[in-house]
Amino acid sequence: MDWTWFHKWGSPKWFYELSGKWLPWLVGAMVTCLLIGVTWALLFVPQDYQQGLTNRIFYVHVPVASISLAFFPLMAMAGTIFLVWRMKLADVVVKVAAPLGAWFTALALASGSIWGVDTWGTWWVWDGRLTSLLLQFFLLLGVVSLRTALEDSEGAARACALLSIVGCINVVVIKYSVDWWNTLHQPSTNFTLATDQANGPEIWVPLIFMIVAVYLFFAISLILSTRNEILQREKRAQWVRDLVAKS
Amino acid sequence: MQFSNFQEFIEMGGYAFNVWSVYGMFLIFLTINLYGPLRKNRQIIRDLKRRYALNAQVPPMPARAGSQSSPGLETTVEERA
Amino acid sequence: MSAARSTLAGAVVATLRRDLLIAYKRKNDLFNPFMFFVLVATLFPIGISPEPEALGEISAGVLWISALLASLLAMDNLYRADFEDGSLELLMLSPHPLYFLVLAKNFAHWLVSGLPIVLVSPLIAYMLNFPEGAYSTLVLTLLLGTPVLSLLGSIGVALTVGLGSRGLILAVITLPMSVPVLIAGTLTVSQTLEGASLSGYLAIMGAMLVAALTLAPLASAAALRISVN
Repeated sequence: MDWTWFHKWGSPKWFYELSGKWLPWLVGAMVTCLLIGVTWALLFVPQDYQQGLTNRIFYVHVPVASISLAFFPLMAMAGTIFLVWRMKLADVVVKVAAPLGAWFTALALASGSIWGVDTWGTWWVWDGRLTSLLLQFFLLLGVVSLRTALEDSEGAARACALLSIVGCINVVVIKYSVDWWNTLHQPSTNFTLATDQANGPEIWVPLIFMIVAVYLFFAISLILSTRNEILQREKRAQWVRDLVAKS
Repeated sequence: MQFSNFQEFIEMGGYAFNVWSVYGMFLIFLTINLYGPLRKNRQIIRDLKRRYALNAQVPPMPARAGSQSSPGLETTVEERA
Repeated sequence: MSAARSTLAGAVVATLRRDLLIAYKRKNDLFNPFMFFVLVATLFPIGISPEPEALGEISAGVLWISALLASLLAMDNLYRADFEDGSLELLMLSPHPLYFLVLAKNFAHWLVSGLPIVLVSPLIAYMLNFPEGAYSTLVLTLLLGTPVLSLLGSIGVALTVGLGSRGLILAVITLPMSVPVLIAGTLTVSQTLEGASLSGYLAIMGAMLVAALTLAPLASAAALRISVN
């Protein structure tokens, strides 16, 4: 098997150049999807027969929450690649994904609780989903603070990669145990997604646009931070000098 | 179209606060996470430019036979910066 | 060192003996987690309410949270002293797999800091008006759960052992990871009180213990190799 593609991913210069070419397209696609999604969600989606117009919150909450769940698997994967093959780029991903994941999780929590104000009549309920998201938020902050505390970059990189793997396993266990805890303590919350109700394409098509937009946003933000990190780490390399001279 | 006029759209059927605060937070979130890295990128490039210029200004070490003079100097300037 | 010691079992026994001996010589460390557990549990009736009914309802949670905090506090001296005097490096240089040596250290640590808490828990439970009929469940869950807490904490300590001032970082890393144990422990107790069959819950806690026993020392060993460099 030809492994050159894999080694290419290990080259920060290659990634920097390639991502520079992709970025305009990604941003264009994201803005398009976002405009379509937001306009459609706000203006045209029919009222929910129970929740009225609060169903508009879902079009932010669902995409953001679904991506927050992807952070630990992503970081664990990048961490494994870093620990096994010592690929520098993978460590950069682990480093920039942790704070970004904390942002996503915080937004998912905030939008979830604002949605809940109306349905539950209170800002916070120890609902299974919210609780495990909150714990995931703490775990992500733990990875961020471990990185800050261990200043030595090689040791910090390996420690954070390991913690990401441990954290990923743990998030799964937390998810199941919190669900279990939740079903035993409160019989059922009426936290039902739009999917439970009879719904047509006018409900889920804008949702798909929003999901795609948020996924693209996630990719763009990750790439931008990765590029910054690469510049700082490679500042002694000739290609960075050339790049700075050109700009 | 769910709304007949702009006023209704703003009111969101009585859920103005909930809906608009979530969309507002979403907007702030998008801006911070896009504008932040972009600004940082410009800042890094500006810093690097200054640093390279500074390194270029430092006169090269009296050349010893076959030695590469720049790395040693470069580190001292970078550490100070 | 005699020839018998150079086998794996010998190395494990030697590590275990050494750690227990050190703990015995430093009686202060031996006593602190235990005292901390009793103190934290004492604060709850003072802070919440001395009403027997109110206390009885929260007592299982209080005991578990106190045990969690005490084990977190005790974690600090699991690798710290060994790291400072260099014996941790020697341990890692030994030809035996670090996994088993870490396991031995964790076991010794639990014997010193976890087991006393389990043993004293019925007494504290009585003072908190713990519902009758669940005492054996409480002790059993603590017996299965506190080793898991130690094993998980060991990962966090191993990751941060090189840090000068650790501050809260150990808690930030370890506490969220301990949540499943807390949930399993308190749920098992409350379900016993409601008359549910115990075996399923204990099986889950047992599974947690087995999983922690197999995976956590691996992670701890890897973390130690990263930290001690």
